[in-house]
Amino acid sequence: MILADIFELWKNAYPAGLTMLGLGTLFAVVLLIASEKLKVKQDPKVEQILESLPKIDCGGCGYAGCASYAKAVVGAPSLIGKCAPGGDAVCEKIAEILNLQISGGGHLLRPIIHCRAHTEDKTVLAKYKGIGTCLAANALANVQACKFGCLGLSDCVASCKFDALKIIDGLATVDYVKCTGCSACVSACPRDLIEMVPFSQEDMMTVACSSQESGKNTRQMCKVGCIGCGLCAKLTDLFTIENNCAKMDYEKYAPSEATEAAMKKCPTKVIVTKGPVAK
Amino acid sequence: MDVDIKGKMTFRGGAHPPQNKKLTKDKPILPGPAVKQVAVMLSQHIGAPCKSMVQKNDIVAAGQRIGESDAYVSAAVHSPVNGKVKEIALRSHPVHGRSMAIVIDVDAETNAPEKPDLISSENVDLDRYSSEQICDVVSQAGLVGMGGAGFPTRVKIEPNPRLPKKVLIINGCECEPYITCDYRLMIERADQVITGIELAKKASGCERVFIGIEDNKPKAIEAMADMLKKTPARQNIKIVPLKTKYPQGGERQLIKAVLGKDIPTGAIPPMVGVVVLNVATASAITEAVISNKPLTHRVVTVTGQSIANPGNFYVPIGTSVGDMIEFCGGVTQKSAKVVMGGPMMGIAIADLETPITKTSGAITLLTKEQIGRAKYKSHKTACIHCGRCLDVCPEHLNPTVLAHAVRKNLFDVAQQYYISACMECGCCSYVCPANIELTGHIKTGKIYLARENKRMPK
Repeated sequence: MILADIFELWKNAYPAGLTMLGLGTLFAVVLLIASEKLKVKQDPKVEQILESLPKIDCGGCGYAGCASYAKAVVGAPSLIGKCAPGGDAVCEKIAEILNLQISGGGHLLRPIIHCRAHTEDKTVLAKYKGIGTCLAANALANVQACKFGCLGLSDCVASCKFDALKIIDGLATVDYVKCTGCSACVSACPRDLIEMVPFSQEDMMTVACSSQESGKNTRQMCKVGCIGCGLCAKLTDLFTIENNCAKMDYEKYAPSEATEAAMKKCPTKVIVTKGPVAK
Repeated sequence: MDVDIKGKMTFRGGAHPPQNKKLTKDKPILPGPAVKQVAVMLSQHIGAPCKSMVQKNDIVAAGQRIGESDAYVSAAVHSPVNGKVKEIALRSHPVHGRSMAIVIDVDAETNAPEKPDLISSENVDLDRYSSEQICDVVSQAGLVGMGGAGFPTRVKIEPNPRLPKKVLIINGCECEPYITCDYRLMIERADQVITGIELAKKASGCERVFIGIEDNKPKAIEAMADMLKKTPARQNIKIVPLKTKYPQGGERQLIKAVLGKDIPTGAIPPMVGVVVLNVATASAITEAVISNKPLTHRVVTVTGQSIANPGNFYVPIGTSVGDMIEFCGGVTQKSAKVVMGGPMMGIAIADLETPITKTSGAITLLTKEQIGRAKYKSHKTACIHCGRCLDVCPEHLNPTVLAHAVRKNLFDVAQQYYISACMECGCCSYVCPANIELTGHIKTGKIYLARENKRMPK
């Protein structure tokens, strides 16, 4: 009985089945030909480079993410050193994939903050009760007496994807162990206090002030501000005084007796060393 | 008098904050304090900052030009006093933070505080001045809009063949609470203000002139109307009483109220053929053109419940806020905030050495009670979507969406909702029952977008 039923079903359905089979085969062949003929030629190197990148899409290289950087670097190998979080290892890998030799490369760029005033060092004229971001506070004159110093309202902390920034006692502080040098914090600071400098030493000497006020005013506003006295500039030509504030040539820095002396003699101790934070 | 004082015309939206003009309404304009030092800011206007023309230890005379710029949108600054340049250094500025100022030690013997001399229209022959002459003098005298924004007046009134000017509106609204400097000016110096209006009309080539005044200032309307009636040549100037509502004195709101014209978002009044000038600017035009006096003094209202003797004073630009407060007898009770300008749009300042600029019409001292206890302690609660801010927004924006977009860093959303059309009048923050600083967030967003555009030009 059952066998007869199945036979009956087969008899009625096999033309439809065959039609479907035929159509399927036809489409398969069409697709096979299309996939061969219309193939998008992609450089296998792009995929290889993308594999080697950190894939955190930090945007530090100036491209939208790791994928677009990979594409760009194949086209223009001069972009090879742009991946800050990847560092030297990624650089070498990309060079290997692109069959290139890299040399030099310089030192890693790391952010430094041109301020060292903690809460107790700053002069505050009035209590700020407004919106708690640096950007909003900076729009108001005299949130703190010094127009140039760190506000400590953590816009840079919010911008950091690697948890490398922290507000310690009213001052943004970088943890150089965690920092990858993506420079997101540089554009987040409304007072432009953060600068990327080549870290040629483990402990980098920096000028931690950017006040352009006259020395007298700076002293009134901050206990640890640069008064532009020029002592450091006299000791070594690494330093210059611009707009009442010491500027340092970070590219030429190499530790020497003169720089040590400048650091020791600075009356407000504005010249400090910055480097990895022990955890 | 034939002017109907009850104002009927207005715009949609707006709020009714308590006026509090009683404090200084009936105080005549008096000479200001005898100051020892003035600090003239090099940037008191919208546009390129000036470059100093003097050096340290130079002797300057009152009215001498001490700063200028080559840029078209800019205004020169002049020394208000005789004295000696002490230094050119950073001083607090209510808007720009710390910026450059010329600090002048005042020569006490030759500078007695002066009462402004009235300029009568009797001996003035308006036909003597041509349009170019007036524009030139206005530019030489460093005139800027004295209502608050500080846009160089020359740029405003100079005829432009591409955008012909047809209507001149004089802004005598003074919608901001507490401030009475323009009100006193209209009462005491109506003649001078109207002479200035005639000069501005001549310079800009406008055909029609309206003076918009809120109907809470009947005395000012009367004084101006009486002065207009005296001379037949002034009959074509019309006074328009407007409803008392904040921000009636906003440029776009005033044009909407007087002419019924809407200005498209992103456009400026000249694009619809309108020029708007403040009454203080009109008065300054007279001073500049007729008596050849640059803009070195202005009327400032010092007010607030905590100040001993509030009043209206004619002071040299560059006088510090601290000097003014001291001159008014200091504070009698604890004040929580010193505001440059009125309580709605003014900017809180922390440094009492902040000098008065061409655009600062008032110094307001607020107590905790006036700010409101909840606002003072910034007790914010979540947005309850009541929509009051949408009702009051004079630009018909959606403040709550804008503010939340900025808070969540969604700047593309903020731009879709026209964040740049906000004029920061503060109505939304004023009515918000949840105490959210809507205007503050929107302002922050605008600053962020301006920074981004600077960093990555399109």
